[in-house]
Amino acid sequence: MGSRWLVTAALLSLSLAAAPAAAQSPDSGLEAKVRDVAASLRCPVCQNLSIEDSPSQLARDMKQVVRQRLAAGETPDEVRRYFISRYGEWVLTKPRAAGVNLSVWLLPLVALLGGAVVVWTAVRRWVRQGDAARLAAAPGAPALPASAPDALELRARKAILQASLQELESEFAAGRLAARDLAALRQRDEAELATVHEALKRLKKETPETAKPRGEPAAQRSPVGARRLWSARLGWGAGLAAFALVVVLSLRGSLAPRPEGGTITGTQFSSGPPPGDMEPVQQTGPLDSLRITQLEARVRRDSTNVPALIELGHLYLTQGQLQKAVVVDTLAIRLQPDAEGTAEAFAHLGMILWGAGQTEGALKALDKALFLHPNLPEALLYRGIILFAGVRDMPAAAQTLERYVEVAPLDANLGRVKGMLEAARKASSGR
Amino acid sequence: MKWQRWAIPVSGVPVLALLAWGLTRDARTVPSPLPGKPAPGFALQTLAGDSLRLRDLQGQVVLVNFWASWCLACRAEHRVLLDAARRYQHQGLRIVGVVYNDSRDNARAWIAERGGDWPNVLDVGSHTAIQYGLFGVPETFFIGRDGRLVYKQIGPLDDGVVEQWVPRLLAGTPDGMGAPTTAEHVTEGRSPGHVRISPDFPTAGGTVRRQ
Repeated sequence: MGSRWLVTAALLSLSLAAAPAAAQSPDSGLEAKVRDVAASLRCPVCQNLSIEDSPSQLARDMKQVVRQRLAAGETPDEVRRYFISRYGEWVLTKPRAAGVNLSVWLLPLVALLGGAVVVWTAVRRWVRQGDAARLAAAPGAPALPASAPDALELRARKAILQASLQELESEFAAGRLAARDLAALRQRDEAELATVHEALKRLKKETPETAKPRGEPAAQRSPVGARRLWSARLGWGAGLAAFALVVVLSLRGSLAPRPEGGTITGTQFSSGPPPGDMEPVQQTGPLDSLRITQLEARVRRDSTNVPALIELGHLYLTQGQLQKAVVVDTLAIRLQPDAEGTAEAFAHLGMILWGAGQTEGALKALDKALFLHPNLPEALLYRGIILFAGVRDMPAAAQTLERYVEVAPLDANLGRVKGMLEAARKASSGR
Repeated sequence: MKWQRWAIPVSGVPVLALLAWGLTRDARTVPSPLPGKPAPGFALQTLAGDSLRLRDLQGQVVLVNFWASWCLACRAEHRVLLDAARRYQHQGLRIVGVVYNDSRDNARAWIAERGGDWPNVLDVGSHTAIQYGLFGVPETFFIGRDGRLVYKQIGPLDDGVVEQWVPRLLAGTPDGMGAPTTAEHVTEGRSPGHVRISPDFPTAGGTVRRQ
């Protein structure tokens, strides 16, 4: 019998639906508190998971103890103290800010401050060098007032004086200068050189940074060089900012609370689909679980969100969580009994009812679904299957399945359905 | 300029100090607050259906052993427990098995197959396991005659551990005089109140915990 697989799948799903529908009940203050405390306690059998995040049995039992203690009136701190008295401080996901642990809290602060100091001094140096370069590069730069002697100006003066002294020597050697003149000129230049030296020394003491130009002397830099220097600095600055941004963003991600039901670590092994190329029972994976979590949160915030309820119903159904599917689908139907969108909820109920052996109720629900949405593929498929395998009304089954094949989604695997359709046609023509 | 020259080496000093402190510690040591304190009491149902209270064993040396039928390390450990029972039960040692995260039927079948005449209790909801700060199975707690927990073994027992503790605990008097109950006795050469996880010991979660 080509369709027994569906009965088996549905019954299997029913038996799997062990999770009580009560899990849907809206969050009370207690549950929020439980989650809070559970997130602060480390799971003993896991690596770096809180008992809130861990799916292990011990973590679940511990969470239950947390719930009981909070319900009995203990404060979150008292509950934590209880676990510390059993497991030691190890059990806290966040070490207490005391003793050696303080270093965990203070070192980042110290590093941050240290980094700030380094950046501050570096930026100060850059700015000074940039100013000097600009000054030196400007054509016909006016001499600075004597009241504010600049190191660059002084060094330039020093170079000029040294060159002048050398020139005097060579002029004298060439016989173009009298010995008397040489002595007078040399005395004048050397005196000025001495003052320049003095001034430079003073300046060096006052502002150590500017006294140590790196690379080529700033006085010789061209405007192009200065521009290049600045763009390099800009590049470095931008790179640094981008790095900081990446660090902050990734930290934000890893410090944020894990979404409920989100993937805990690595790839979770999800139970594959049952054998056979059946389409109502779809392959479920971590993505579905994630989506379910999102939708559950949405429904918790607004329990009248019919599209979310219906999508949730679909996902529960594909995951075999039939009781939960019934809860959300019934809610959707109660909210919008006559909307076209509710057709899907009726289709889900029809599927579940048939799985539970209530053929008549199932067909009623599916008829209602098709009344609301005449071409809803799921409803057509389920109705066709029930007519074929349950009621054994072959002409009706053939008709419904034909319609399904016409409107079936592109990714549907039609192999089974076509087999069923063939059999239904054969049976009805053979009559 | 001077302070900058010193800043980097000086800031390295606390980092080095922290590394020196951290790297000279045994990473496998998990501090347990329990040794030296009164053993957490429990009243649980045995596999046979009777009720067993730890308090009723007060005055005797008790070995509380957490185990499960799905735990591979517990199989190897069982022989050690059988030996301990044979050698010391007539001297007053009481062994209590606590079945952790397992069904009554599985536990019964396991005992029927492997032997052992000491009582085993079912810890539904793992309340007792959590009271004892359990990480995984097997774990064994040594309780002196005065009801104090003196040693916690994480991972399977071996004959050495039994020989180290049981005779001394049995030699103690009921009021605890002479029984090794202080932290120094408890830990023997290790830092007080610490227990050690045996290397490569597969716990329930298949993980090795590090402090």
